[in-house]
Amino acid sequence: MNTGADTTDTFAAPLPARPPSSRVWRRLRDDRWGLFGLLLVLGYFGISLAVWSGMAGQDWSAASGGRWQPVSAEYWFGTNVLGQDIFQRSLYSVRVAFEIGLLVAATSTLLGALLGALAGWRSGSAADDAVLFVAGVLDSIPFYLFVAAVAFAMRGNPWAMHFAMVATFWTTTCRLVRAEVMRLKSREFVQSALALGLSAPRTVLRHVLPNTVHVLLAQGAIVIVAAIKAEVILSFLGLGVHDGVSWGLMLAESTQEVLAGRFNNLLAASLPLFGILLGFNLVADALQDALDPRATPA
Amino acid sequence: MTARILTVRDLSVRLPAAGADLAVVDRVGFELAAGEIVALVGESGCGKTLTAAALLGIPPEPGGRLEIRTLKIAGREYSSLDERGWRNARGRDIALVSQDPLTALDPVIRTGTQLVSVLRRHGIHSRGEAAAKARELLGEVGLPDPAGMMRRFPHQLSGGMRQRVLIAMALSCDPAVVVADEPTTALDVTTQAEILHLLRTRARDRGTAILLVTHDLSLAARVCDRILVMYGGRIVEQGPAASLFESPAHPYTAGLMAAVPQLTGGDPPVVKPLPGQVPAPGHLPPGCGFNNRCPRADTICRKQEPELTTSNGAHLREVACHRPQRPGEPGNPS
Amino acid sequence: MNTNTPTATPLFEVRDLRVEHAAPGGQKLNAVNGVSLRLREGSILGVVGESGCGKSSLARAMLGLLPVAAGSLFYRGQELTTLASRRRRGTQRGIQHVFQDPANSLSPRRTIRQTLEEPLALYRMAGRDEWPGRIARVLEAVGLGSELLDRYPNELSGGQKQRIALARALLPDPDLIIADEPVSSLDVSAQARVIERIRHARKTFGTAFLLISHDLAVIRQLADDVSVMYLGRLVESGPADRVFAEPAHPYTQALLAAARGNGAPGSGLKGEPPSPLTPPPGCVFHTRCPRAMDRCSRLNPGFTVAAQDDCGAQTHLVRCHLWN
Repeated sequence: MNTGADTTDTFAAPLPARPPSSRVWRRLRDDRWGLFGLLLVLGYFGISLAVWSGMAGQDWSAASGGRWQPVSAEYWFGTNVLGQDIFQRSLYSVRVAFEIGLLVAATSTLLGALLGALAGWRSGSAADDAVLFVAGVLDSIPFYLFVAAVAFAMRGNPWAMHFAMVATFWTTTCRLVRAEVMRLKSREFVQSALALGLSAPRTVLRHVLPNTVHVLLAQGAIVIVAAIKAEVILSFLGLGVHDGVSWGLMLAESTQEVLAGRFNNLLAASLPLFGILLGFNLVADALQDALDPRATPA
Repeated sequence: MTARILTVRDLSVRLPAAGADLAVVDRVGFELAAGEIVALVGESGCGKTLTAAALLGIPPEPGGRLEIRTLKIAGREYSSLDERGWRNARGRDIALVSQDPLTALDPVIRTGTQLVSVLRRHGIHSRGEAAAKARELLGEVGLPDPAGMMRRFPHQLSGGMRQRVLIAMALSCDPAVVVADEPTTALDVTTQAEILHLLRTRARDRGTAILLVTHDLSLAARVCDRILVMYGGRIVEQGPAASLFESPAHPYTAGLMAAVPQLTGGDPPVVKPLPGQVPAPGHLPPGCGFNNRCPRADTICRKQEPELTTSNGAHLREVACHRPQRPGEPGNPS
Repeated sequence: MNTNTPTATPLFEVRDLRVEHAAPGGQKLNAVNGVSLRLREGSILGVVGESGCGKSSLARAMLGLLPVAAGSLFYRGQELTTLASRRRRGTQRGIQHVFQDPANSLSPRRTIRQTLEEPLALYRMAGRDEWPGRIARVLEAVGLGSELLDRYPNELSGGQKQRIALARALLPDPDLIIADEPVSSLDVSAQARVIERIRHARKTFGTAFLLISHDLAVIRQLADDVSVMYLGRLVESGPADRVFAEPAHPYTQALLAAARGNGAPGSGLKGEPPSPLTPPPGCVFHTRCPRAMDRCSRLNPGFTVAAQDDCGAQTHLVRCHLWN
């Protein structure tokens, strides 16, 4: 039946001057879980800043105490088999996780946005086909197999893991951006910019990509989560961090220890990992809701 | 005048607002006779679409409320009907043809299936019978090859064809009243003329009363028997189309007329926009709601709300204005 | 264009333009097929026709947004289709545009000020210190105040957005504005205001307009000359007064009758326009023409002079066998 038609008139109401970004902030502010996630992320960010600036976590490699010291005022989480302070190691791991997450997310988002914009803008062209083909190939290789192969091929290179992650994580961003760009390019304001005489690259950078930020931000947050998880798993498998420390390495150590009833490493790695992933996940969800241009303005 | 098919008294639509409810449609009343085509005219934001929806018992989202003293369709009282009662009545006694035929049809279901399901909901139980009736209806609204049309998806039809399908749906249960909300706005002139012809023929042959909601006063004057002009949620003027178009009494009607480009022979008058904007709901000035845009407003207009009364003693004409224009007076001096 | 009088070179000329669209199945569809137009300096040319008649493709091809399959475009006597895209962009300052959909015509994440500054920066117009003055002047010309400058498009009404689009088009002092259905999605009063502003802009700045609309009454308000399109072809063109008073082509007559009619039988055309993928042979209108003759389905008519006005400058041309 056709009775479900529009029931509201559009009122030419005088609206207060407010940019769209403030609407996003308002929606974020009203999202309790999102705020909680943001708080968590900021907490971890504070820790990693402290580690990065040398204020904490510097003694992660020093074998200062005896092996397997219990929890004490000096060693909050005890020491490991080499007599290293587990608390210090966990703190330093925050920085490692953050670095990898942000770096990989930023690089793969940038790469995905640029290739997605190219493919979407020139959809149906050879460039589009090429981008889609490469993305399809990369998506069809099992991730850990791919990373193992890359790690083997780039033996000894500390960036092998980063490279492998970026190479696989950009594809989703690329597909999302491609679809958005295809939708946007026929819109009148984009045609308007072209008719004004703006070159295609400038039109894309100035009028098209800014309208995909909701995709980029939300997808970026998701990639951070994926990268942190992948780093831990790869390090656990011995394919990731080699000459440093990471929750993954700590978990690898703990596999033997838990059999002996020592849970220090396990808990010191898995609990903070859980916290950071929860934080970023909540932020990603909140961002997605707040930035969704189709959602009705609150 | 022939039999009254629709009687509306004191119909209000209320929206929740800061503090109190806001009457976005305020105590509207009118009548439709059998076979009559009446236009409900006004700018967007005047409440005409809300009024149309209210006639089908649909309150606005979110949290809107209807307050109706009398709503009589073909002798039956509907004002106290609950949602379940309305579901049965919609389509059967009063039906809606909406503005956008693309969104009003489900894109993934064949048009025939949609039409058949409407028929079966309203009493035709046999699938074969419903399909036969559907083909007949599509033929009645002037669609070529009704059987072929039934197999098509909405996006395979042109805008004019989709609008015909919607009209066929609205007419499927032979309702006493059809509310058509801007049915031709999205269509080309030639298609527009055919759709209007279709509605007129229906009104004449079957005595269906049609309420045509439109912003185009010149279209209303060409097609309709009577015109209701709405502003700020109230009916400000009403009367027979020809007489009202000839000598509008309310300055708002005159202003609307001056804003519509005409296509009469010779040099058409240059269009003049109405001053200002439609005020947001709740921001109507005190007194007459139009006084802040009205070239004739004076003290009394700012103090006292005018009632809808017989205008200038003219037959069948009513106007809600303290300072109505008299016939022969120069139009809107803006 | 060998002529001594400078006024004889039209501001913009379209000659035998063909625009193709790719259709499903690798087919080609002629959206615009052999259209020729001449636009005089400071005049308003209305192009009218039903949806799908190719009028928007014509506008987009003139703006360089669609490739030209055949034919030529001349701007002040300069052939545009052979220009390299960089040079072509150089002529773009003189030809601006207003599109239909106010909800979509302005970049949603840019303030009105940013939107208006874009053409000034792009064409390197005047010094930055002169921009506010120029912007204030066009805003005044479209009847808006400068308090809107720091707003975003979603905070403006449809009519206001459309007048901002007009302001942006006027900023670079163009010779020609191509307006594709500039008022068709607006409410009566907003529509009247935009019409008023287009008339005002033509009068004060001498800007010529190509006004595309399906609404004959809007064309009647503004246009000096009218061209009627059907299925990618021009079927009639001439001075607006003449075309509206004595339409020569049966299609124009039907359009006018439909727009003036009261829905009484006979005022509309039979059926729907045929698909542009398979245009009928002969005269493209013969399948719906109430006066079609035998030869209409076989021969495509050429243009005939229906009437010549006093000075002979603007002729009333019609493409119909009835006039042969």
